[in-house]
Amino acid sequence: MSDLAELSMTEAADAFARGEVKAEALVRACLARIDAHNPKLNVTIRLDREAALDAASAADHARAIGINAGKLGGVPMMHKDMYYRRGKVSTCGSKIRKDFVADKTATVLLKLDAAGAIDMGTLNMAEFAQNPTGHNAHYGHCHNPWNLDYCTGGSSSGSGAGVAGRLFYAALGSDTGGSIRLPASICGVTGLKATQTRVSRHGVMPLSFSADNVGPLVRTAKDAARFLAITAGQDPNDATSAPEPVPDYEAALTGDIRGMRIAVCSTWFLDGADAPVLAAFEAALQVLKDRGATVDYVAAPSMPAIATYVSVISRVEGAAIHANWMREYPQDYAIHLNARLYGGYAIPGHYYVESLARRGPLLKQFVAETLTGYDLVATPAVKTRVPTLAETDIDENPANWARFMAVSANTRPFNYLGLPTISIPCGFDDRGLPVGLQLAGRPFAESTVLKAADAYQRATDWHRRSPLM
Amino acid sequence: MEPDLVPPTTEAIRRWSGVECPNAAARLGLADMAGLIADMEKLRGTMVFEDEPASFELALRQCKEAGK
Repeated sequence: MSDLAELSMTEAADAFARGEVKAEALVRACLARIDAHNPKLNVTIRLDREAALDAASAADHARAIGINAGKLGGVPMMHKDMYYRRGKVSTCGSKIRKDFVADKTATVLLKLDAAGAIDMGTLNMAEFAQNPTGHNAHYGHCHNPWNLDYCTGGSSSGSGAGVAGRLFYAALGSDTGGSIRLPASICGVTGLKATQTRVSRHGVMPLSFSADNVGPLVRTAKDAARFLAITAGQDPNDATSAPEPVPDYEAALTGDIRGMRIAVCSTWFLDGADAPVLAAFEAALQVLKDRGATVDYVAAPSMPAIATYVSVISRVEGAAIHANWMREYPQDYAIHLNARLYGGYAIPGHYYVESLARRGPLLKQFVAETLTGYDLVATPAVKTRVPTLAETDIDENPANWARFMAVSANTRPFNYLGLPTISIPCGFDDRGLPVGLQLAGRPFAESTVLKAADAYQRATDWHRRSPLM
Repeated sequence: MEPDLVPPTTEAIRRWSGVECPNAAARLGLADMAGLIADMEKLRGTMVFEDEPASFELALRQCKEAGK
């Protein structure tokens, strides 16, 4: 194979399983890309180079003697630095936890280990996963591989930039307001947030426990399907994880979406959208129609309430879990973060309870308004063009606040609703930065979401394009 | 000109939570809370007496695709 780094996660895993490539070759291909490009992108926090090579050697030996390596056998990955592994430091992108050594291992890491994935280390991220752009005052900002002056999206900044830059095949992100889908959209990769409760959060840094989600950033919908099948399911260590059975998501990827019904909300998600984003979004809808789906415009009158309540929940929960450090070490947070957390202490408790109590009724209302008679809702993942790092740097200029928050306007509502949602690349804006198509389905309808995303990727090559770094 | 709500709110946060206002950006953020207050005012009367947080997990199950 000429360029191993260009393989998708499933292509790399399947090539290893067939004996066409060695795990050591995959790891060395990734390390070469990291050595060449990480100095510009600032993607990694901890690189376990020798451990990765040792794991690859063990995987190659096991395969040589006929041991089944698992569905991710031999595939190098790196993960957002908030997934705990016993005995290892998880900085959470912060100064406060720069020396924090975990005493447990995240369930999702154990599942990836069991599937044969090779963990090469940890990735840069927004401090405590608390911003949508990827700025980090402590470890340096992550840079977009399509243009280093632009933000990566956050909070899973290293995950998005690293997968886009072909530095590894997959990465865990986390998503509380869009932190998987935003870097996926802005860096031009595929990012999946499953249904709330679908994937265990045991051993994962909390941000807002009502809305936190675990999920992958990868190259393709097929990658996301395999990744989710391995990581989803009930976990006795996470009382909130759902007992729903985990289907074979890859089996649903037939490419046939004839008769699939897609709703587009005529307001809210398109309000104020930039023209290049709208053009890419409408072209993407046409691709889905060409493959046999129908697209209709529907109303979404519950959106203002949803947007208000999600803001209350994430602020209050974030403020509560950071209260001790906000009293003792406020200077150890970046300016934009302690400023954001501070507002959470001003919100009355009854607003918080109301926001949680209205979540079920509003989910039912949204489904009735927009998904009755439809399989999916489609929106642009980010309705504005990708901003530069400077345009969204609040630490340098607090007046950038509105531009900063606008980045996540289209992703946050789906965290309140808990719906499975994916972002896939669907083009580029007029400055050459990626645009993402967001598809959301009913609760636990990940198969439908992935099927549509896969069908779209069979007809397009946006997800195959590599940044010229 | 700083909105009227900022000084009493910083004092309330200090008393209730023991957290000091960390910087000017935080004061700006508090000033923006007027927008959230207005948004919550618009939603008054929508919550009914029996609404409770656990209804969310139930709604997730009830809103699944038909046949799943």
